[in-house]
Amino acid sequence: MTNEVATAAQPFVMDSTFWTATIIFILAYAIIVSEKIHKTIVALFGAALMLVLKILEQREAFHVEALGVDWNVIFLLISMMIIINLMRPTGFFEYIAIKSAKLGRGEPFRIMVIFAVVTAVLSAFLDNVTTVLLLAPVTLFIADALEVDAIPFLIAEALASNIGGTATLIGDPPNIMIASKAKLDFMSFIINLAPAIIVIMVAFLFVLKIIFGKKLKVKPELKQRVLEMDEREAIKDPLMLKKSLFVLAIVTLGFMFHGMMNYQPATIALFGAGLLLLLSGTHDPHRYLAEVEWPTIFFFMGLFIIIGGVVKVGLIEWMSLKVLAVTHGNMFGTSMLIMWFSAFASAFVDNIPYVATMNPLIIDMAHQVWPHLQGIKLLHNPELMPVWWSLALGACLGGNGTAIGASANVIIVGMSERAGKPISFIRFMAYGMPVMILTVILATIYVWLRYYVLKI
Amino acid sequence: MKAKDIMEPVRDSLSTDTTLKETVNLMQVARRNESKVGVKGMIVLDDKGNLAGIVSIKDILKAIIPSYMSLMELGDFTWDGMLEEMARKVAGKEVKDIMTREVITVDEDIPLMGCADLVVKHNLQRIPVLNKDGKVIGIVYVRDLYYAIVKALLEKDGK
Repeated sequence: MTNEVATAAQPFVMDSTFWTATIIFILAYAIIVSEKIHKTIVALFGAALMLVLKILEQREAFHVEALGVDWNVIFLLISMMIIINLMRPTGFFEYIAIKSAKLGRGEPFRIMVIFAVVTAVLSAFLDNVTTVLLLAPVTLFIADALEVDAIPFLIAEALASNIGGTATLIGDPPNIMIASKAKLDFMSFIINLAPAIIVIMVAFLFVLKIIFGKKLKVKPELKQRVLEMDEREAIKDPLMLKKSLFVLAIVTLGFMFHGMMNYQPATIALFGAGLLLLLSGTHDPHRYLAEVEWPTIFFFMGLFIIIGGVVKVGLIEWMSLKVLAVTHGNMFGTSMLIMWFSAFASAFVDNIPYVATMNPLIIDMAHQVWPHLQGIKLLHNPELMPVWWSLALGACLGGNGTAIGASANVIIVGMSERAGKPISFIRFMAYGMPVMILTVILATIYVWLRYYVLKI
Repeated sequence: MKAKDIMEPVRDSLSTDTTLKETVNLMQVARRNESKVGVKGMIVLDDKGNLAGIVSIKDILKAIIPSYMSLMELGDFTWDGMLEEMARKVAGKEVKDIMTREVITVDEDIPLMGCADLVVKHNLQRIPVLNKDGKVIGIVYVRDLYYAIVKALLEKDGK
């Protein structure tokens, strides 16, 4: 495997190319944050400018890993989306949601806890947005059946999806991007992040108990409505469900062993998507392919090219030198700085462009600190590893801070608004920000204890 | 024959701020033609008397079905009385929030084939007919188009 990490280490000059690339980068990010133009359009136009103005050559944007589109991320996302699109019509997700509500025996707080746990677990293996898109409609439905306020349930689910998504490589886009850039495998994420997330999830449920434990009341006769639902009626296509679960099992095993077998995660996901398409016997793949969230995919592609431009001209290197000036190469300090800065940054801006920028920045910084190291030796330097985990924890957990911090939150807010139950920015933040701060404090203790005290 | 030859003249209409409950009542008492009362769809006019939208029974059903039900297959789990409960919940919604805004209309002089084409392409039950000034003067119903076909096939040439 060739490594192009060294690309970023060329000396740079602040010439007109440098400033052009920097201006495109800053303007693109400013417009994305302002939401005046759809972020996908901004990313694609910004990427096009990087090419038209010859900051990047097309070859670099399309074929050079360190400067252009990260196809590992793109194919992983597309393939997982195809698998879910094929699975949805089977009724599997309705089954899980109704079953969860029934397990709660119609008790609202029990249902909230079960939904939060189910959301967290599903989010660890599916995209967070997909998870909330699958669970929130059923939550609104159950809340109507029990005649309780749906908003606390929905907020709890958004927060749980961001927490759960942090646990694995495929759980949240920042992790997918970090894994690809840092060449980390699925099991490293499980081993390093899942323990932290289990602790954080328990603490989160405890917080829910304090806030909602005694508040949620429901009339006894309404519980019957939930208990009478038969989750087995949700299954519309048992044969396809079996095929889907079979493929999902293969994909899960594939993820667990991909590092060992020397496969990239995207290879595993693509195999799953291809196999399930084949097994489905469909003659109309268009339907399942059309449902892929193409705007998200193209947002990633555009963003990768924009970042490639500023990496090439040296802006990222300049930024990494500034970070080093603050931390003096102290990796514990860097971890903490990155975790907390990432958390607050991700609470207010999309964590995808943020992490896309931080990845090359961290690699550049590592290069300054250990100039004699190359490739995997540099990326997986034991002193650098806690920095990657801090970035993942900060960027993913930070998404909980505000209603716009993570895509899952945006979906939840939009869906409850359409259902006539709007969640205000302040109301979301009243729950989200304390949860974010609490979870990042726990993550801080975890990183400090595990990597700097116990050193395991 | 043309649209204006088979259309029913417009007798009653809704305004954009009529509530859903009032709408249901108005549709019960609206005149369909000289003899019949009760319609399944009504046009909505704005302050200036221009067409703003159309409300049909289907629009009212859509307004009552919670938005989350369109996202997942939950029909099997609904409970007895849910429809009535949801209807009472949204009784105060205004017409402007439930009407179909993009209304397909025809000019009064369009031949019947033009109307039939639109009915099938857009799955319509009724098409408002506009005069030269763009005001609604009548409605062509699917059944009246059908009667034109019946006439053509079953009645002797030239009557």
